[in-house]
Amino acid sequence: MAMNKKLLTVSVICLLFVFVLEAQDNDANVIKSDPLNGAYQSTYNPEQSEKILIRNARILTGTGEELVNASILIENNKISAIGKIKKNTKANIIDAKGKWITPGIIDIHSHMGVYPAPSLRASSDGNEATDPVTPHVWAEHSVWTQDPQFTLALKGGITTFHVLPGSANLIGGRGVTLKNIRSVTVQGMKFPKAPYTLKMACGENPKRVYGNRKQEPSTRMANVAGYRTAWIDAEYYLKKIDRFANKMEDNLLLDEADLDEDEDQERPPKRDLKMETLAGVLKGEILIQNHCYRGEEMAVMLDIAKEFNYKVTTFHHAIEAYKVADLLADQGVCAAMWADWWGFKHEAYDMVWANAAMVDQAQKGTGCAIIHSDSAIGTQHLNQEAAKSRAAGIRAGLDISRGRAIKWITFNPAKALGISDQVGSLEVGKMADLVIWDGDPFSVFTKAEKVFIDGHIKYDSQREEAFKRTDFDLGIIDPEDTRL
Amino acid sequence: MKKIIVIIILLFSLALPGVSVAGSQSVLIQNATVMTASDLGILENTDLLIENGLIAAIGKQLTANDAEIIDASNMIVTPGLIAPHSQLGLVEIELEQQTRDDSTDHYSAGFSIANAFNPSSTLIPYNRSGGITSAIVVPASAKTNFSGMASVFNLDGKLLTQPIAQDIAMVMNYGAESDSRASQILLLEDAFEKAVRFKRNKASILRGNYFDYGVYTIRDLEAIMRVLDKDIPLLVRSNRAQDLLTMIAIAKKYRIKMVFYGAKEAWRIADVLAREDIPVILDPMDNIPSSFDAIAARMDNAALLNAAGVTILITSQSTHNSYLSRQGAGNAAAYGLPQDEALKALTINVADVFGLSQDRGSIAVGKSADLVIWDGNPLEVSSFATAMMIEGHSISLISRSRRLRDKYLIELGLK
Repeated sequence: MAMNKKLLTVSVICLLFVFVLEAQDNDANVIKSDPLNGAYQSTYNPEQSEKILIRNARILTGTGEELVNASILIENNKISAIGKIKKNTKANIIDAKGKWITPGIIDIHSHMGVYPAPSLRASSDGNEATDPVTPHVWAEHSVWTQDPQFTLALKGGITTFHVLPGSANLIGGRGVTLKNIRSVTVQGMKFPKAPYTLKMACGENPKRVYGNRKQEPSTRMANVAGYRTAWIDAEYYLKKIDRFANKMEDNLLLDEADLDEDEDQERPPKRDLKMETLAGVLKGEILIQNHCYRGEEMAVMLDIAKEFNYKVTTFHHAIEAYKVADLLADQGVCAAMWADWWGFKHEAYDMVWANAAMVDQAQKGTGCAIIHSDSAIGTQHLNQEAAKSRAAGIRAGLDISRGRAIKWITFNPAKALGISDQVGSLEVGKMADLVIWDGDPFSVFTKAEKVFIDGHIKYDSQREEAFKRTDFDLGIIDPEDTRL
Repeated sequence: MKKIIVIIILLFSLALPGVSVAGSQSVLIQNATVMTASDLGILENTDLLIENGLIAAIGKQLTANDAEIIDASNMIVTPGLIAPHSQLGLVEIELEQQTRDDSTDHYSAGFSIANAFNPSSTLIPYNRSGGITSAIVVPASAKTNFSGMASVFNLDGKLLTQPIAQDIAMVMNYGAESDSRASQILLLEDAFEKAVRFKRNKASILRGNYFDYGVYTIRDLEAIMRVLDKDIPLLVRSNRAQDLLTMIAIAKKYRIKMVFYGAKEAWRIADVLAREDIPVILDPMDNIPSSFDAIAARMDNAALLNAAGVTILITSQSTHNSYLSRQGAGNAAAYGLPQDEALKALTINVADVFGLSQDRGSIAVGKSADLVIWDGNPLEVSSFATAMMIEGHSISLISRSRRLRDKYLIELGLK
């Protein structure tokens, strides 16, 4: 039934699409509302899942709550009930007595796929460090889908992750949100309907990379000049596009003969990949994910956003977020942080263990804290990273429940990626992405036992066959064996 | 049984009053759960008497006149953790070359880092607050595949800190580099041969007879001789199973002591490592097949090695977060390493391998009072050190990071 509904919806969308395309094709000068013509979209479409009832679990819902002795019902890839549920004879029952359940873990900062393992020059595809402003590159076009790090992350409970370009550039390119499922194509991994994101980077990295080449930027002030110049270009581009579109609407477009005389004024502007991405940000369709360590730099970046009227969704790494925690909370900007990384550069010198907890508690608990990994090791234990940050918060005298802290690696990253209507918490109607842990997920001794994505068990510590490996793992140590 | 042990310890402690180290006050830690990192295992409700910087007694209901009393009820006491492979005291900010003293272009094997140790580094109080009391400080790189020699330091942060032990291991790299690994072995054997020839003809060479030093200095060759004389172990940073076997063959051929670092594929040759008694320093959490040298990396490397009888030492790969060896040990335990073995891998095994176990690495009468008091299982990520002692002195657990936290807790109105 659900399948039919989906087919119907897809067909309707397709029909609409054809209609729109035809309408546009009648006039070659019109800019298509979807310049991509439907390309690059997610092709991920999970098979309909079985009905599964998980019982007797302790559940951290991702909404802040902790349910004891509770159940979750999974139907048609979605969560169809949570809480006290009557035993349903038609469902497969999983007894989770003594186990904990959380939403699938979401890592908002990953370079898996673009910096895959093993680390080789041939597949080191995360930084287009040839120009400080490269909004035209898309991380998804670098993703190697056979990265064995994906499956390691899955064993740690990662069901969704956000792959970013590196931080060499002021504006590094588009990021992509992926589901942690095996697919030969990156389109097959793309999170359905997730908005695009744009990676920007503050501070030391861009100025070091280009400064070493005696090229701009070599200072933080040139960093800022670089962003502003790019946004001025984007504003101009957007105005040009809008002016043209308005003329179209007003039927002011002249016929072919007149066009030649009137040159740029009436000709549809040529597509510009860089500007399409930046304009997407100004239109609010593409979310800014901004690598930024220092407090004062975050404040400057927020002023740039004010000047050009866009929004910064998340500051990543945000070592000094605690110094501007009130400002971030007031402006509704999330900070994605490590639990304890520091000292690798000067802008990472002022780390405090309670960073996430302080961001979370700022302005009467209205802050948005996220724990990220930026590491193929860390992503496998993001629950431990959250545990360290929570413990540091408690030690600093802040009252942070497990229910609150689990949001740092579930709901908050989902919100910051624009997918919290679909994942990030265990609520009826959301995708059945969840993890059954063999104990308290805030303990170092606890491991993910079963990992569900869209209602399907993708990893089961007790059942090898549930687990799909990447091509890389086959025969690489022993030709007759599989890598771990 | 426990009673007998306690009595034996008490008797033993009575034999010690003659020993005296000037300056430190007596301390009595009461009612602790003592994880000894020794064959005594875990002792519940136990007291520790610290006198003259040493552990003077371990037992129940100890008494002492004029001793400072620390109530450690519901607390755990462990030996101070020893970082087995870090650049503590040599590095402040990784990317700022002028804050680093861990490498040289001038020396090779003879590069001793002992003089560069900065006891005022902010990394030191920070890592103390994570439970580290001393560290094997290793050079990062030098001329050739040798990186130089490691020394051991206390982390009490006192100016004029002298090494506990100087130049105690020779460090080198072996594996994928621009030069073939075959050539790396030839160069190593040539270096050994050169060191032997230098030693044999030293007098005549110093009188002016011709000697081709190649890339080495006298200092380098004499350091290499210390390895060949079995005076210090060769600490080899290497990951691929076959590379470890190649180096084991070198160790046997030259009859030298060897320790491996990294060793991500060590589990594949666990039986050989056990048989040859070669210890392994590893980060249990690094299961990434990060190069074609480490394809077989896995989470239970530590557990498999321990089960085979290999001595393991657990490290963090980040000098700044050296104390995260604890999280590594916790994860190793989650993947099958017994918890008491995990604690040993952070303490006594490190001391044993680097020749420090007479004075350090476990809680035993007569050993230096390098102790940490914890508010929970030290392998658990949510546990914190609440008090620390180095050589019997109470040591602050405040760090610059903690000061920043407290400043901004107030500014944000959260305190």
